[in-house]
Amino acid sequence: MNAASRTRAAKVVQYALLTLGALMIVFPILYALGLSLMSGGEAAAYPPHIIPQHFQLKNFVSAVSEAPLGRFMLNSFIVSVIVTLAQLVTASLAAYAFAFMEFPFKKIIFLVFLSTMMIPGESTLIPNYLTIRSWHWINTYQGLTVPFMATAFGTFLLRQFFLTLPHDLFDAARIDGCGRLRFLWSIALPMARPALGTLGVYAFINTWNQYLWPLLITNSTSMRTVQIGIGMLQFQDATTWNVVMAGVVIILLPSLLTLVLGQKQLVKGLTSGAVKG
Amino acid sequence: MKKRQTLKILSVLLVLGLLLVTGCGTGTTKSGQTAGGPITVTFWHSMGGVPAKTLTSLIDKFNATHKDIQVKLVYQGSYDDAFNKLKASPDQGPDLFQVYDIGTRYMIDAGLATPMQNFIDQSKFDLSQFEPHVLHYYQVGGKLYSMPFNTSVPVLYYNKTMFKAAGLDPNKPPLTFAEVEKDAKALTATSGGKKVYGFSQAIYGWFFEQYLARDGALYVNNGNGRDKAATESLVNSPAGVQILTWWKKMIDDGVATNLGRQTSATQAAFGAQQIAMTIDSCGILPNLTTAAAGKFQIGIAPLPRGNDATDSGPIIGGGSLWILKNKPKAEQEAAWKVVQWLTQPAQMAAWTVGTGYLPINKAAVNEQTYKDFLAKYPSYQVALDQLHNTPENRVTEGGRIGVFTSARATVENAIEQVVLNKATPQAALDAAAKKITSAIQEYNQTMGIK
Amino acid sequence: MAREKPKPTPGSRSKSGVKAKGAKELAHALLYLGPSLILFLIFVFYPMVKTVYLSFYLTNPSGDPVVWKGVQAYLSLLGSGAFRNSVLVSFLFVLYTVPGTILASLLLAVLANVKLRGIGVYRTLYSLTIGVSVASAATIWMLLFSPADSGMLNYWLHLVGLPKIGWLVTTRSALPSLALMTVWMGVGFNFIVLMGGLQSLPEEIFESARIDGAGRWKQFRHITVPLLSPTLFFLLVVDTIAAFQSFGQFNILTLGGPDHSTNVIVYSIYREAFFNSRFGPASAQAVVLFVIILVLTLVQFGVVERKVHYQ
Repeated sequence: MNAASRTRAAKVVQYALLTLGALMIVFPILYALGLSLMSGGEAAAYPPHIIPQHFQLKNFVSAVSEAPLGRFMLNSFIVSVIVTLAQLVTASLAAYAFAFMEFPFKKIIFLVFLSTMMIPGESTLIPNYLTIRSWHWINTYQGLTVPFMATAFGTFLLRQFFLTLPHDLFDAARIDGCGRLRFLWSIALPMARPALGTLGVYAFINTWNQYLWPLLITNSTSMRTVQIGIGMLQFQDATTWNVVMAGVVIILLPSLLTLVLGQKQLVKGLTSGAVKG
Repeated sequence: MKKRQTLKILSVLLVLGLLLVTGCGTGTTKSGQTAGGPITVTFWHSMGGVPAKTLTSLIDKFNATHKDIQVKLVYQGSYDDAFNKLKASPDQGPDLFQVYDIGTRYMIDAGLATPMQNFIDQSKFDLSQFEPHVLHYYQVGGKLYSMPFNTSVPVLYYNKTMFKAAGLDPNKPPLTFAEVEKDAKALTATSGGKKVYGFSQAIYGWFFEQYLARDGALYVNNGNGRDKAATESLVNSPAGVQILTWWKKMIDDGVATNLGRQTSATQAAFGAQQIAMTIDSCGILPNLTTAAAGKFQIGIAPLPRGNDATDSGPIIGGGSLWILKNKPKAEQEAAWKVVQWLTQPAQMAAWTVGTGYLPINKAAVNEQTYKDFLAKYPSYQVALDQLHNTPENRVTEGGRIGVFTSARATVENAIEQVVLNKATPQAALDAAAKKITSAIQEYNQTMGIK
Repeated sequence: MAREKPKPTPGSRSKSGVKAKGAKELAHALLYLGPSLILFLIFVFYPMVKTVYLSFYLTNPSGDPVVWKGVQAYLSLLGSGAFRNSVLVSFLFVLYTVPGTILASLLLAVLANVKLRGIGVYRTLYSLTIGVSVASAATIWMLLFSPADSGMLNYWLHLVGLPKIGWLVTTRSALPSLALMTVWMGVGFNFIVLMGGLQSLPEEIFESARIDGAGRWKQFRHITVPLLSPTLFFLLVVDTIAAFQSFGQFNILTLGGPDHSTNVIVYSIYREAFFNSRFGPASAQAVVLFVIILVLTLVQFGVVERKVHYQ
């Protein structure tokens, strides 16, 4: 075997492995897509089908008529954008302090931040609901967004990233008389673009995926968000799975699309290798 | 510089976002009524899928024909989600509220509603046209607290085509536990590497409650909690043990299979002809018929019984409508008008046709829409007959406790222990009864019930 | 933590001077931490204090404290077999999912960290599950996991001649099945983070290693993993916390069953509070869970972060 054919063989193996991995990740989503296009009879067939025999778009019509998914998606979009932007700001500020500043009780305060991730959301649900209610924020965008504007997770993510930046940068900037905020704004943040991108995508999708909180604090269809729509398609006594899957596919599309479009930017940010400086 | 620009855009977006936050709230006013305009009735419900669509079209019709009352229909998640939300802040509740059957006791104890009976007496509303068995479930001391709405009963579904193939009479479905077992044996087969089980039912506490009633046994003491507040669970009675013994034996014999708690799993298996018989709510007949179309014929039979208790029958399930009491009088009156309208024969017929729930207004069966429905699904009559054939007593009225949700989960766990060989029927049910009893007593203590 | 050694203060400064400087630094830092801290105070710590308070009471179904019980809720948790089971199940779930997710994602990230035509497509596909909500994922997997022969996974087993599995309906397979689905969901995010870490590793080190004749495994073991350790540490901490807090899949797929085999603490809290209306005992469980995660995270920072190699 000569070297050229050996590299070719290695490439084939690489592609085979890559494709196998991709199939394992993507299959459940393809399965949902397939079911969403099947008739009720075909969905119950044995052996189970993956690819529908007759494409049927009726399920999508049913899904949209059973739940106002369009309005829900708009609300989710507004809420997710606000929360994402706010989290980027609060987390950058906090992470900067933890990564570059020296102050007393730093470790303890950092632990206090982290501890917010450890408190079970189920036990804060009712007290937070009562707080929001006492502020008359029920059924408002601020009620849907403000409680989520700070993020320990995001702070931690950015702190880890800032820590990988060479510390000399900070010292050099200080010698230049560059203020802390200026340093954060014009040096640290631009370098942290990949991490900010990751946090942005993460925050957006996490907010998009909320269920229990929006259900609790909204009272009208016009303020509802998209995951509640999935619930609306299901009913314990009689669930039509192909219609539910159509709903799942509809609400998956925007987040997957965000990812496909954002991924390019994300990968570009990642490969630009900001760290190497 | 490009990076600068991105950041600039980002900050502009943030400012816009904050403006949105402060400017976009719709806010909530104490009562959404405008002077002189129509009265708004807020109606929380937990219907999903097709039933939700049917309810929406009914309410649309109401709004179109009533200029003085407008109903705002709001989906509040599952029954439990909606219930939890109301518990968290009763003053933010709706005018009209759909609660599941087993939430009745708590609704009464918490005193959140104006009894339906007050409105009925005041406007001399005629209840005689309603199914008595359904009314009895929701009545306390002859007083109706809520208006029954979506109502179902469990039935046995069987695959007639498979019955024929197995040499059984497709018009003679099994009626007792022993017959189910016998037929299941005959129906169980392996053909072409594919196994068919004669029977399977979801691990669903509602089914256990129904079997118990069918065999004449109480769920809790003090007349099923209807003579006075229950203090003790009775699920570990001989009837209860018999149900689980039968259930487990069929699985051990390989003529039934365990498909878990989700009824959707047994429904799918029935549609795919992996099981020949199953137990489920009468409401899913249209769904199952779609799944079976072109493949096999579906038969319906009454819920099988374990003994010869002739003076008994199953309970009902579903939900009812409550009018909350902390709302202005005018809104409550308007809500009552909505309830009356919804339970009229024409609307009830449309409800049954759209959802498979029972027509609880007897006159609904005379509506043409219902007749057409029955012509399409003739076997649906079995479900209605079962309702009519059930005698009225404490057993068939059903248990009434404030902790029914957790009791049901406890029983489901006991069934799992038995089916998965972790405990004998007697031991599992003894433990379940003990746990339910202590939950009842704790509830009575915190609610101040003696 | 690598960066937090306070800089030696030069020479002879008075004690009060140090203090004043510390206060000034703290005030400065608080400007940056303030927005987050205020939000946490209102929406996390205040509810937490309320939770601790409720844990000493028996409440009525609306959640109002009715009967003072002291530490009885905690004592009965200690003696409760059901709660011990919940703790065990939670730890098992963390054990099944955290290493599984990180290893699977690392494998995919290394696989995708090559220059090949079309590699961008693979990277996008590998990160896809970040966009799938728990509700959607659970709904899809519910059908895949169907215990009947007609379920998709069981059909595959049948095709390769293996006996079918009960997936979510037997006590032995339910938790591993949920873990499988959770790993699938976690791969997307973990992959993106690891990919970012890999991409930022300096190429020159690998080149000089190659010149020294180091094989792939050696490079991976002695260069990639150490240099990636800040990223791996981050994932270890957040994945562990996330695994302890997982809720949606349990609520949709198993409801804690069969026979409590998937009754993790968070689900048990939800059940006690919202279904059984026992806010007191539910709050006690929440406090215990908090302490467990806190201790575990402290251990991670104390033991594991020492081995983390920050540049």
